[in-house]
Amino acid sequence: MGAALALPILAFAPRAGAAVVGEMGASILGYKERGLMKATEPILFGHAVIDDVWEVEASAVGDILTGASPQFVTNVSGRPVQVLTGASVHERRHAGDAKVGRRFGDLVISASAAVSNEHDYHSKAGGVEAREDFNDRNTTVTLGYGRANDHVGSAIDPSLDQPRTTDQWLAGVTQVLSPVSLVQSSLAYSDGRGWYNDPYKFTLTFYPGEELPALLPDLRPDHRRSFAWLTRYRRHFAQQQGTLQADYRYFTDDWGVRAHTLEVAWEQQLGERWSLRPALRYYTQAAADFYSPVIPQTAPRLISSDQRLAAFGGLSPSLRASVRLQGLVLEGTIGYVHDAASLRLGGSGSPEFETLRAVYGILSITHPF
Amino acid sequence: MKRTWIAFLLLGGCVHVAPYDRGYLARPDMALDAGLGTARALEKIHPSKEAASGGASVGGGGCGCN
Repeated sequence: MGAALALPILAFAPRAGAAVVGEMGASILGYKERGLMKATEPILFGHAVIDDVWEVEASAVGDILTGASPQFVTNVSGRPVQVLTGASVHERRHAGDAKVGRRFGDLVISASAAVSNEHDYHSKAGGVEAREDFNDRNTTVTLGYGRANDHVGSAIDPSLDQPRTTDQWLAGVTQVLSPVSLVQSSLAYSDGRGWYNDPYKFTLTFYPGEELPALLPDLRPDHRRSFAWLTRYRRHFAQQQGTLQADYRYFTDDWGVRAHTLEVAWEQQLGERWSLRPALRYYTQAAADFYSPVIPQTAPRLISSDQRLAAFGGLSPSLRASVRLQGLVLEGTIGYVHDAASLRLGGSGSPEFETLRAVYGILSITHPF
Repeated sequence: MKRTWIAFLLLGGCVHVAPYDRGYLARPDMALDAGLGTARALEKIHPSKEAASGGASVGGGGCGCN
């Protein structure tokens, strides 16, 4: 939910004499997993640059989640499988964020705040960012710091109220490479302390010859330090009227997770108004050190059977279409998510990982001003 | 990775595109992020199902994602 690194020269097409340049609009997300959760998310957003000095940005989000969520992983049938919540989950989340920046010559200093509330999870976050242009605005360097204070609760354990604090640092460089290409690379380090256990996840293991099974809640470390390196490249091909967009992220943390994400897209201009953007995203991760779908007979200090910490990979194709009308931009995106053990790089994902299939659609209407 | 960053800093000194020559760079399809509404929606999809997240921003909060 943080305010992303911005490249000033790209933010908006300049309009001579305009005191306020920006956009405002609304979006809605529909997301549905096969046999699991369904989410609907309406979003309001706005962004403006005032007198070339002030930059303001804000968004408000509401989440409505329904469906079934994995609660137990048990080997009662012989092999570990997910058992879903009996009753349908119904959750609501409200979130908002705002960012204000001021330009001092080539330097922009900004501050941001974000809040997110649901009945069992509360989060407040803030950040500061300094962004400076060099080399006649061909190079932009960004430094950022943020802190999030979260409180974790549980509908099945009303006494649970545990804090988690995360400090985040970010350094990034955006470089114009030519009149038609640019690249951005950023390093983000996150240091979190507090409650990471998922209060809704349990592991239930039956042992051959034993009468009673073992039951453990989700037990994760009380800290997490992670490091992400994100590089994004854009190149426009004037003759083809299309733009190549490529993003790569390497992620590692002290839980043992290593992940690679690559997304490649081609945005094709179709006439004056329309554009079409097919994209393919590939994701692969190694399992966390304490991930296990069964409880070893010597009970471990840490264990989680949450398959989001398993080894797996995912492919996600998507297609976005946008049309510019008089004073409005309409944009629609459809996408498919397919996560599976066999899609992990090298093919050696966690055998117990249950394939996830999901579809989503996003509709946005934006009014530039 | 260190070499990549050094290359960036060196590039910063070598590459110069004049302001009047940046028309293509200001195109919407050259933006690094999707539009604000679409970007917010996309934050819901993959991070809630994967162990990795972040990299592009700071100052954001978490959620109890199912």
